[in-house]
Amino acid sequence: MPFHSFFQWCDSTALGSTIRDSRFLFPIIESIHILALAVLLGSVIIVSLRLLGFGMTQRPAREVYNTVSGLRNRALATMLVTGFMLFCSEANKCYENPPFWAKMIMLLLAIVFQYTVVRSVSRRDFTTGRFQAGRVRAGMAACLSLLLWFGVGAAGRAIGFY
Amino acid sequence: MSILEMCQWLQDTPIGTSIRESTWVFPIIEGTHLLAISLSVGTLLLMDLRLAGFLFRSEPVSRVSRAVLPISSVGFAIMFVTGILLFWCQAVKAYTSIFFKIKIALLVLAGINALVFELTVRRQSASWDSDPVPPFRARMAGITALVLWAGVICAGRTMAYNF
Repeated sequence: MPFHSFFQWCDSTALGSTIRDSRFLFPIIESIHILALAVLLGSVIIVSLRLLGFGMTQRPAREVYNTVSGLRNRALATMLVTGFMLFCSEANKCYENPPFWAKMIMLLLAIVFQYTVVRSVSRRDFTTGRFQAGRVRAGMAACLSLLLWFGVGAAGRAIGFY
Repeated sequence: MSILEMCQWLQDTPIGTSIRESTWVFPIIEGTHLLAISLSVGTLLLMDLRLAGFLFRSEPVSRVSRAVLPISSVGFAIMFVTGILLFWCQAVKAYTSIFFKIKIALLVLAGINALVFELTVRRQSASWDSDPVPPFRARMAGITALVLWAGVICAGRTMAYNF
């Protein structure tokens, strides 16, 4: 398994051991990770609800998507950086942890889905107003996006419970 | 009966004990409390960013508020219910944690900030509703809320640790 040596290497880096040996670094980095989660998922929720015909219905989904894009991208970048730091501090534990693998698979799917389907569906949506029939594609993209991102969050929390 | 004894009594009730000792119920309640941050604070922060003049500048504040706050309210209702259940099953740990006290204090301050905003600046909102950048006091209310909610989240997460 090529992953195993990568995990062991991450665990042995100075970054990993510094966080592991500190009383405060892990909670601080984790708090930043969770603050970024609020921003990332908040943006995902507002765009998804818009695609489903709720919330900011007076603006086209395209505009809602574009408005929160910068916020969402920065939050995702913050989550990836802080997540990698947390991972390094307990990489060997993560290797044995099924929720961690579930999280990584869903994270990959969520990111790909976000920047392909959700992006193109939102950007092509110029309509305004409440829920309209016939917008099945947009609604399905929104539901799947919510499912994937919340799956990532739930699996992430489960790492600590396992 | 002291407050500490009341906390002990509360978490020793059948409901408190069964949540604490369950395999699935506690993680589900705790996970829901965590993920509902996105629905509550995650959406409210869009309204606060509008008040601060950073996002949705071409949209009147009242319309952002009408679109976003119902969603945030659902989130805060979930936070409140799951939060009560979490306190119920580990009241002593919460009561003796400095971070829990900080969290409650910040929650009260966030409430006061929102109330003051509603009763003062919001009352005259007709004059600035469509301004891309709202007046100073409205922007301060938005920024203060962002800082306080970030503090609530950090204090809540830190409750898990004993330094």
